[in-house]
Amino acid sequence: MKGPEIIKVSLQVGSLLLANGAETCRVEESIERICKACGVKEVHVFAVLSTIIVTIVMEDDYPITQTSRIHKRNIELHKVECLNNLSRRICYETMSYEQIMAEVHRIDAFPSYHKVLIFFCYGLVASLFSLFFGGSLLNASVAFCAGLLVKLGLNAMSQLSVNSFFTAIIGGIIASITPLISSSFGLPIDKDTIIIGAIMTLVPGLAITNAIRDIIAGDFLSGITRGIEAILIGLGIAIGVAVSLSLFKFLGGV
Amino acid sequence: MILTFLYAFFASLAFAITFNIRKKRLLFSAFGGALGWLIYVAFQGIIVSDVLRYFISTIGISLYAEILARVSKSPTTIYLAVALIPLVPGGGVYYTMLHFLNGDLNLGVSTGLHTLAIAGALSMGIFVVSSTVSILRKIMLSIKKRRKTNEKNKPSQNIST
Repeated sequence: MKGPEIIKVSLQVGSLLLANGAETCRVEESIERICKACGVKEVHVFAVLSTIIVTIVMEDDYPITQTSRIHKRNIELHKVECLNNLSRRICYETMSYEQIMAEVHRIDAFPSYHKVLIFFCYGLVASLFSLFFGGSLLNASVAFCAGLLVKLGLNAMSQLSVNSFFTAIIGGIIASITPLISSSFGLPIDKDTIIIGAIMTLVPGLAITNAIRDIIAGDFLSGITRGIEAILIGLGIAIGVAVSLSLFKFLGGV
Repeated sequence: MILTFLYAFFASLAFAITFNIRKKRLLFSAFGGALGWLIYVAFQGIIVSDVLRYFISTIGISLYAEILARVSKSPTTIYLAVALIPLVPGGGVYYTMLHFLNGDLNLGVSTGLHTLAIAGALSMGIFVVSSTVSILRKIMLSIKKRRKTNEKNKPSQNIST
């Protein structure tokens, strides 16, 4: 492979990894691994949450640098696993540029779960966690609706490409306003367990895990950025719930 | 208790689906979530401090995730991120906020600190296991390398003698 092809392939794999929820250290490692396997003399990679910069130096050639900006991130861990395996495969067997690119496109085009199933799972997470925290079946069914509505709100927010902090606030508002409204209609429900169950759908589990793993790998910049993201999301959820609770108190509801 | 175990399992399963994890990995990652809760409950009679119990169950699930990741040759995150969810103190965040909203500052601050301590215990648990595993991996790799170079050197010595 020639230099420009190597950098294109490795950057494509790296940016897909980052966009689908891999740790930053994994992105840097994979790019380095692919470049080394293709016979590059020197590789310098720098990746943060939104950007990857790669410079490669070939034997008797000019160094090449390319950057990639990642705008949209979503969580598809299956793709991360496939890309990770691909980057290892490149090391063991010699693959041509076309072969690797075809494989990358195949992984990228891999369909995620059906939308209806994802909605159902959000509802399920909310209702099961409300049961988990000691709610009754009636509470769980209200929490199911709350989970569905939260996902609806999250989808709308991601379509408007709103930042994650504000998304968490909106999510918190929706999660708490659903049980508040249904209890003002006279349903005998315990709003605490429902709200806790519904806000569990918003928990930034992957951000926490990735933050810690990045810090362990010595990548403090990305680790702290992700950690702050997780803290802000938690704060946003609390603010959202507080807004709707105090609004209801003000209106003389619950 | 069995019921809460099942709730944790299926909640983790649903969460794993929203993370787009596939096939066999789905069940294993969901079991991790239930395992964390099981460890937490198992130590209930022995250890009084619940922060310490959270720490121990995080160590348990991180070990589980690291071992499974080596066995199935997939990223640790797949198992760890899902298994962590049932342990995340969502209730703590909610009650902290509720106490502040009711104007009860003392209770709010103490609940908030408690929630923070749990979050710290979770991250410390992952920290301890993951860094130990990565150190072990590096030691194993260096041993392997040394063995390889030894094998390479031996035949050449034979030829020279």
